[in-house]
Amino acid sequence: MLSRVAENLYWMARYLERTEDMARLINATTLLLLDLPQGAQFGWDILLQVTGDAKLYTEHYGVPEEGRIMRFLIADERHPNSLMAAIHQARENCRTFRDVLPADFWERLNVLFLFVRENAGSSSDSRHGRYAFLNEVIARRHALVGLLIGSMSQDNVYQFIKLGRNMERADMTTRIVDVTSAVILPQDQGLQNATGSSLWLGVLRALSAFEMYRRHVSVQVRSNQVVDYLLKDSKFPRSMKCCLGEMEVALAHLPNAGIPAEAVRRARRRLDTLKLADLRPDLLHEYLDQAQKDLAVVHRTIEGVYFARDDARFDAASNGLHLSAVQA
Amino acid sequence: MDWLSRHYQQQITYDELVGEDAIPRPAAAPLFDYLSTLGSNELLARRQAANAAILAMGITFTVYSEAGNIDRAWPFDIIPRILPRREWMHIEEGLKQRLQALNLFINDLYNEQHIVADGIFPAEVLAGSHNYRDACRGVHPPFGVWAHICGSDLVRDADGTIYVLEDNLRVPSGVSYMLENRQIMKRLFPELFKSCTILPVDDYPNRLYETLAALSPRGAERPLVTVLTPGIYNSAYFEHSYLAQQMGAYLAEGTDFFVGHDDVVYLKTISGPQRVDVIYRRIDDDYLDPEIFRPDSALGIPGLLRAWRRGTVAIANTPGAGVADDKVVYAFVPEIIRYYLDAEPILPNVPTYLCMRDADRNYVLNHLDTLVVKPANESGGYGMLIGPRATPDERARFAELIQANPRNYIAQPTLNISTAPTLVGSHLEARHLDLRPFILQADRMYVTTGGLTRVAMQPGSLVVNSSQGGGSKDTWIVDEEASCFRE
Repeated sequence: MLSRVAENLYWMARYLERTEDMARLINATTLLLLDLPQGAQFGWDILLQVTGDAKLYTEHYGVPEEGRIMRFLIADERHPNSLMAAIHQARENCRTFRDVLPADFWERLNVLFLFVRENAGSSSDSRHGRYAFLNEVIARRHALVGLLIGSMSQDNVYQFIKLGRNMERADMTTRIVDVTSAVILPQDQGLQNATGSSLWLGVLRALSAFEMYRRHVSVQVRSNQVVDYLLKDSKFPRSMKCCLGEMEVALAHLPNAGIPAEAVRRARRRLDTLKLADLRPDLLHEYLDQAQKDLAVVHRTIEGVYFARDDARFDAASNGLHLSAVQA
Repeated sequence: MDWLSRHYQQQITYDELVGEDAIPRPAAAPLFDYLSTLGSNELLARRQAANAAILAMGITFTVYSEAGNIDRAWPFDIIPRILPRREWMHIEEGLKQRLQALNLFINDLYNEQHIVADGIFPAEVLAGSHNYRDACRGVHPPFGVWAHICGSDLVRDADGTIYVLEDNLRVPSGVSYMLENRQIMKRLFPELFKSCTILPVDDYPNRLYETLAALSPRGAERPLVTVLTPGIYNSAYFEHSYLAQQMGAYLAEGTDFFVGHDDVVYLKTISGPQRVDVIYRRIDDDYLDPEIFRPDSALGIPGLLRAWRRGTVAIANTPGAGVADDKVVYAFVPEIIRYYLDAEPILPNVPTYLCMRDADRNYVLNHLDTLVVKPANESGGYGMLIGPRATPDERARFAELIQANPRNYIAQPTLNISTAPTLVGSHLEARHLDLRPFILQADRMYVTTGGLTRVAMQPGSLVVNSSQGGGSKDTWIVDEEASCFRE
């Protein structure tokens, strides 16, 4: 597979995952805020904190307000993490390698893009319309994933999609946990405070984790248990641990995977040593900061081994030497 | 044929589907029988379905001037263009003859130049050719073939004669639209395909792959074939991607390749360098290799010509093949056919005046109001003068251009090119059209079954190029002798 195609596949998968994650995050936050009393300790701007784009928002829109935040997160292409921008990027990436995927995939992705472009603007007008729109986006994205699972060989193409998807997921999960715990933990001494537990409930919903959490962990929603579940559960597909595991499996199918695989293992070892029973907010934040750095290293090593395209590196290899990674 | 005479009256020239007195031509009769059963609402609904399918399938082409909106849906008319198989077989023979002669000609020009020595082809025309590449002299590509993929434009004049208007030997495009048009029609009118013997078009990608694979310099069982594209901003990117997908070839950009110290071309893959056997390039010569041609090209592959000259890689079409894709050379094609094949041309050329010849130039300058003037090396319908429709100012400007650079201009009588009924709004109107079949040549020859019919969507317009608002139709070659139609 071409290095450039591998890179575009990886990014397409990230953008598609980002599209869905953004849709889930907005819907779950909406449901949650409806339950909160007036004057609660957080509001719509928590969405901006999760995506890390509060500064850009302020530049374009000023004061946080529901309608404007929605326009910013859903429809504004000036915002590179917006749903519209993400689906557009995914489509543009896909155009460059339609030849390696099942033919239906491009057509469905293109239709999803057209659907979002058609409806993104008006979707922020009402909560009801927005909810339905975002649910439709999620459903269509699931159909795309289903198509790949159902009709694609688990070849290299598939592995790069898997890498991108899990990288983006792990990134989103760690961000959500970080922001949520920053909002709650300082005040939440007993971990039983109503706001705290409903916020974690919202997080579980945003990650479609509520049912699994309740079945496998507890009926009660407790900060430390939720954090533990979302970071360290080995079976839930959006946990940090699971995402790292999936990346490791994907890499095992790929050539020259030594360096990135080692980076993934390093991230996982650090996760394994994290003790969440006696969770302290500052330690958790420190860890999550480190986890983001670890993910960035994994990303850079994948980039260096598979995506870098300088002639000299390849010419040396055509001379019978092995392909060397561009060191991250 | 009540329905037809009610819906389609215009007879401004030869019509492809309708003969005298609004009687359908035999090959088109079943189509009109079918259309008359549909009713106009249903017809409009099918058109809407076609447009939706085009949008969903992402069949697009790119228009440079529309900033920010890089792709446009492919404009498509649901009324097909129909040719009887018997007529088509004659055209096919003519096209094969033409390409065979052109390849002998190109090969000769880059090697012995017998045709110049024998006084058939003037040395000064060769000297003035923009597309002759000195870097290609002395090369002997496999089978002596330089133009492996040719798209020749055919038009029909009012008297029914089919002429070859030009031969595109550089990077002809449009074949993917031919294939997709058929897909759309099959989705839209499955009933017609059940009851008619419409010859299939879909073996083109396989034939293209076989043509390319035959060029591989290594005897590998499955040679590594690539499609070299300038990238997603190119107007034909859709086609590049489509053909790569259909052939199972790598779709690659210039930076995906490199030429090793061993003068071998490699692809940069996740497992390291992979040796390339064949490059189907969709980039003009000028941009192909910055070491030889334009040094500022970022689209090409530095060192590619070196590798090609050493025979480690095949390029289709070869660099330099465009020398025969020149409207001045075009005028010599009948002579070229006679010279190399010792045969009369099966398909006629449009009579052509060469402005480099004094007598021709004088005639052209005195008859600008009846002629079409074309620059020798432009494509896409740019830089043309359609005399009868031009203003006196435009004609005066062309007179100056011709006098300043006679070698660069040719002129032809304005043909009254044929029309076909086209769905405009809610009724049928006559629109002019042409036909671009594609001819392949390596160890064997192949011609597409029909080709891409392009139609000028503006009333009376003769410009069919998609870059200038043209549309297209599915092209049916129907076998009237087989148990066709009527159930």
